[in-house]
Amino acid sequence: MSFMKRFSQNRLAVIGLAILVIAILFVTIGPLVYPTDQIRTVLESADLKPGVEGHPLGTDSLGYDVLGRLMVGGRTSLLVGILAGLLATVIGTLWGAIAGYVGGIVDAVMMRIVDAGIAIPAIFLLLVLSSIVQPSEWIMILVIGFVSWLVPARLVRAESLSVKTRDYVVAARAMGGSHTRIVVQHIVPNTIGTVVVNATFQVADAILLVAYVSFLGMGLQPPATDWGAMLSDGLGLVYQNAWWLILPPGIAIVLVVCALNFVGDGLRDVFDVKGKTA
Amino acid sequence: MSSIPDSLPATVAQQAAVAGKRPRRNPYLFFLLRRIGQALIVIFVVTVVVFALLQMLPGGPARGVLGVQATAEQIAQFNHEQGYDRPVWEQYILFLGRLLAGDLGQSYLLNMSVTDAITQRLPKTLLLTGLSLVIALVIAIPVGIFQAVRRNKGADYTLSTIAIVAYSTPSFFLGMLLIMIFSQNLGILPANAPQGETIAAVLAEPQRLILPVLTGAIPLVANFSRYMRSSALDNLSEDYIRTARSKGTPFRRVLSRHLLRNSLTPVVAMLGYQLPVMFGGALVIEQLFNYPGMGLLFWSAAQSSDFPVLLGCVLVISIATVVGSLLADIIQSVLDPRTRGGIA
Amino acid sequence: MTSQTVLQIDDLRVRFAGRDDFAVRGVNLDVSKGEVVALVGESGSGKSVTSFAAMGLLPRTATASGSIRVGSEHEVIGQPDGLLDGLRGRVVSMIFQEPMTALNPTMTLGAQIAEAVRNHTDSSKHEALERAVELMLLVGIPDAERRARQFPHELSGGQRQRIVIAIALACEPDVIIADEPTTALDVTVQAEILDLLRRLVRERGTGLMIITHNMGVVSDLADRVFVMRHGQVVESGPAERVLTNPTHEYTRTLLAAIPALPPAAFGGAEAAGGPHGFDAPEDPVILLRGVNAGYRVNGRLVPAVHDIDLAIGAGEFVGLVGESGSGKSTVSRIALGLLPASSGELMLLGQPMNRLKGRSARRLLREVGVVFQDPGGSLDPRKTAGESIAEPLAIHARGMSRAAKRARVAELLDAVRLPRDAASRYPHEFSGGQRQRIGLARALALTPRLLVADEPTSALDVSVQAEVLEVLRSLHADLGFGCLFVSHDLGVVNELTERVVVMRRGAIVEQGRTSDVLRAPRELYTQELLASVPSPDPIAQRERRAARAGLLEK
Repeated sequence: MSFMKRFSQNRLAVIGLAILVIAILFVTIGPLVYPTDQIRTVLESADLKPGVEGHPLGTDSLGYDVLGRLMVGGRTSLLVGILAGLLATVIGTLWGAIAGYVGGIVDAVMMRIVDAGIAIPAIFLLLVLSSIVQPSEWIMILVIGFVSWLVPARLVRAESLSVKTRDYVVAARAMGGSHTRIVVQHIVPNTIGTVVVNATFQVADAILLVAYVSFLGMGLQPPATDWGAMLSDGLGLVYQNAWWLILPPGIAIVLVVCALNFVGDGLRDVFDVKGKTA
Repeated sequence: MSSIPDSLPATVAQQAAVAGKRPRRNPYLFFLLRRIGQALIVIFVVTVVVFALLQMLPGGPARGVLGVQATAEQIAQFNHEQGYDRPVWEQYILFLGRLLAGDLGQSYLLNMSVTDAITQRLPKTLLLTGLSLVIALVIAIPVGIFQAVRRNKGADYTLSTIAIVAYSTPSFFLGMLLIMIFSQNLGILPANAPQGETIAAVLAEPQRLILPVLTGAIPLVANFSRYMRSSALDNLSEDYIRTARSKGTPFRRVLSRHLLRNSLTPVVAMLGYQLPVMFGGALVIEQLFNYPGMGLLFWSAAQSSDFPVLLGCVLVISIATVVGSLLADIIQSVLDPRTRGGIA
Repeated sequence: MTSQTVLQIDDLRVRFAGRDDFAVRGVNLDVSKGEVVALVGESGSGKSVTSFAAMGLLPRTATASGSIRVGSEHEVIGQPDGLLDGLRGRVVSMIFQEPMTALNPTMTLGAQIAEAVRNHTDSSKHEALERAVELMLLVGIPDAERRARQFPHELSGGQRQRIVIAIALACEPDVIIADEPTTALDVTVQAEILDLLRRLVRERGTGLMIITHNMGVVSDLADRVFVMRHGQVVESGPAERVLTNPTHEYTRTLLAAIPALPPAAFGGAEAAGGPHGFDAPEDPVILLRGVNAGYRVNGRLVPAVHDIDLAIGAGEFVGLVGESGSGKSTVSRIALGLLPASSGELMLLGQPMNRLKGRSARRLLREVGVVFQDPGGSLDPRKTAGESIAEPLAIHARGMSRAAKRARVAELLDAVRLPRDAASRYPHEFSGGQRQRIGLARALALTPRLLVADEPTSALDVSVQAEVLEVLRSLHADLGFGCLFVSHDLGVVNELTERVVVMRRGAIVEQGRTSDVLRAPRELYTQELLASVPSPDPIAQRERRAARAGLLEK
C-alpha cells in the first residue's frame, strides 16, 4: 500500500495515469457511445469544418467523421503501441538479463548484436520491411517489437551486472546457492523496478514509432487508420488551414505519450527509493 | 567471474607492475584500435542484415541491376554469371566485394547508380542533421546545468515538463504546427526547404532552413537537456565539487571548470545512441519540408519499391551511425582521461 | 579570543530542514596557532557538521546560528558566498575523508593545486604551476614536475590525500580543518600522513583541527581534544589528560570499547631468534597448500596471491591481517569457493575443493558461513531479515518444515541478541550493527564448521563494533566453529584470535600465535605494521612512534 501512496505523491504521475485511463475509455467505450461509419466514404460531406451537420470535429477528405475516426484510429495506435512496447520489454529483458548474468563471451557476442541493431535506424528498417510485407496490425506489433527490444536489453544488462556484484548475491553463492536460485530469488526481484519503469517508456516510444510509420504511409491501409495516418491524411490540407484534421490526432498522440512519460517518471521515483542503497 | 575487489591496483600499469610484466607501450593507442575494431565488427553485422534483406526481396538482386524490364532469360543468365545460383555464403562474399568496390547496385527508377544518388544527397542530410545537433547542444547543455543547480524549484519543474511535452511530440506534428503558425498564419518563414543541388546552393537560402532545422532541433533539446540535468545532478553531489568550493573557487567557476566537463561524458555517450534517431527524424523532416536529402530519397524509394536504393540507404546510414558513435567515443576519451585505456 | 586564536566557535547550533532536533547544539571550541585540536565522536555526533559549518559549506537545507570566527576576525556564519569564497582556501582550508573521490578526475594534479593559488593571488598560470610543484614536493610526492601533469586516477589513495593536503596548504591558511583525513587509508599510510601533518603544523605554525573517531590518532597528534556526542561537547581538555583520566562517562565508554594492543617489543627476528612456531592443526577444517590465484582483467590473468599455506583447525580462531593489496580478501574468496585457485591444493573438510564442481561443491558449502564488511549490501533489500537468515536452510535443508525453519530463525535471533520480531522486518529498518548481526545469524544457520568473516566490523562505530564482536565471541564459545577473521585492525585481531597470519602484496609474511606475533614481531613488515597503529595511550604511543622512526631508517 505504501507503493500507491508514494506514487500518488507525484502530481504529474497521477495526472498521467488519469489521462491514460481516459484515453483507454475513449477508444474502447467511445465508439459504442458515439458510433460512426468509418468504412464507407461519404464524399459529399468531405472537409467539413467542426460543428457542421452534427460532426463535432468536422470531416476529412473522404467524408469520415473526425471524432469517430479519432476513436477508431486511437484503438489501433494504443493497441499496437502497448503490445509492441511490451513485446520489446520482454525480449529485451530476457536478452539483457542473460547477457549480464552469464557474462564473458556470451555477453560480448550478445551485446555486439545489440550494438549492430541500434546502429540501424528503426524507421529505415521498418520502411524496408513494410515494403516487402503488407502490414497488418499483428505484423506491425511484431516488427516494432523486434526493432525496439535493443534499448531495454542494454538497460537490463547493466542492472543485472550491478546486482550480480552485490554482497548478498555473493553471499548466496558462498552459501552454495545454484544459479537458478540466485537469478530467480535475487536478480529478478531487484531488477524488476527498472524493467517496469522501462516498459512504460517502451510503450511510449512504440506509440510514437507507430505514428511515424503510419505517417509515412507504410502502416495500415485505409479504411483502417490510426493517429499517424490521420496526420498524414491531413498533411495535404495544411496549406488550407484545416486545423481540425491536424490538431486532434496530433494532440492525442502528445497527450498519451506525455502521460506515459509522467507515469514512467513517477514509477522510477517509487522504485528507486527502495532499490538503490542510500 | 568474480567481482574485482578494490584492493586490485587501479591502472593496468600498476597491475602489470604487480604481475611483473612491462606495461603496454601506449594504452591509448590500444584503446583506439580496440574501439575501431569493435566498430568494424558492428558494420560487418550490419552488412549481414542488409544482405539478408536483399535475399528477401521479390525478384531478387537481378532486378536491382538489370532493372524492372528484364526478361526471365536475362535474369537467369545474369544470375548464373553473377553467381546468384551459388550457395548463400559465396554470394555474401561477392556482395561484400561489390560493397568494398563502392558498387551498391542500380536504382530501378532513377536512372543512376545507387552510389551516385546517395553521394548527391547524403551531404545535404548531414548538413541538416549537423545544424540541428549543434543548435540543440548549444541550448541543452546550459539549460541542463541550470536545471540541476535550481533543482526542484519552479523553473526546473517547468523546464522538465516542457521537455517531456516536446519529447512526446512526433516531429512531423511539430513541423506541421510550425508551418501552420509561421508560414500560414504569420507568413514570416517559408515552408519549403532549399532545393539547391550543392551545399553552397543550400546555404544561400538560410531562411528556408530555419523551420526544418528547428523541427529537428527541438526534440533533441528536450532529450539532451534531460540527460544533461541528470548527469549534472549526479556530479553536483560529488566530493570533488566540495573540494573545489573549499579552495575558494566562486560557484560560477566551479560550474564551468569542474562540473561541465565531467557532466558531459554521459551526454556524449548518448550522442552515439541518438544518431540513428536523428537520421530517422531527418527522413520525416525532409519529407515534410521537401528537402532533397537522403531521407527524401529513401522515402520516395519506399513509395515506389526501389529496393536497391532502399538497401543502399540503410547501409550507408548505418555506417554513418557507427562512425558517429566511434567519434563520440573518441570525444569521450578526450574529455575523460580515465577512459583512455587501462580501466574498463 | 586572543591574537593567537585561529578558529573560534561560540555556541554553534545547526538544524537541518524538516527535522526537529538539532545536529549541533551549542558547541564551543577554539584552536590556536601551531596547535592541534582533535574533535572526537562517533557517527551522529555532529562533528562533521561542525567542521563544514566552519567552512561555510553546509548545504542550503541547514540553518546555523552562533558565531564561528576564522583567522583573527572573519565571521563565517550568515555571510554571503562571495565573502566566504575569499576566506576558503586563504584563511581556512579543509582536508577531506575520501581521497579517492576528492579530486576532479578530468583535471591534472598541477592544475588543481594551481587553482587554489590563483583563486587568491594574482599569479600567472606559469607561476601558479611552479608553486604547485613546490607544494607537491613539500607534501612528499617525488618527481613532482612529471606528476603535476598526471591525473588523479594514476595515484594511490595515500598519494591523493597528499595532493589534497597540498591544495589545503597552497595559500598558507591560518587554520586547516581535517575531516577524518586518514580513516580511508591503510595503517602504514595513515602513520605517514599523520607524520606529515605534524611536521607541517610545527614548521608553519598553522592551526589544525582534526576530526576523528580514532582515539589512537588523537593520542598521536593532538594537543587538546573535544569529545562530542549528540551534537554537544561532553568533555574537553589536554589530550594526555583526557585519554589517561577521562572524567565523562561517555569518554570512558569510548576508550574502553577500543580493542587493545599489547605492548610490543620491536627487536625483530635477530633479537628473538627465528620465526614463530605454532602447531599445525591435525584435522584442519580448511587447508590451503601452495595456492596461487589471480583475477581475470580484460582477458589477462593478474596474479593476486602466491604460495599460500594456511590451515585452520576445528574451533580455531585465526586472524588474517594485511593492508590493501595484501591479498587477504582474495584468500577469503578462495576459502569460500568463489575464486578458483590457479594452482595448489585447497581442502575443505578433507575434500579437494578445487576439483569439485557444481552440485557437489555447493553441497560442501553448507559447512561454511560468511559475513561481509558492508552492512548495506550484505542483505537483499527485498527480503525480510527472517527470509535472509533462512536462506541457507532453504538451500540445504529443503526437507525442513516451515514451522521448523521459523523456530530455527527465532533461535538464531536470540543467539545474536536481536528481538524475535526482527524476522518480519526489512534491512533498511535496521542499523549497521544490527544488520551485521543478522548476517551473522544467517552465516550460522546451519551450524557450519567454518565461518569466514571479511572485515565484519570495519564499517561500524567503535561502540557498535564492541557489541558485535562480543556476540561473535560468545557464539564461538558456544558453537566452536573454526573462524577465518580477515581484518586490518590489529587491536580487534588481538582480542579475538588465537593465531594470526600477516599478509603483504599477495604473500604470507609472518604467521604464529597471536600473542607471540603481536608482542614480538619477527619480520620487518610486521614490526612496521604494529608500530604504525596509533595507540590511545599517549605514553605507549610515543614509544611506538620512536620505534617506527627507528624501523624506517633500516
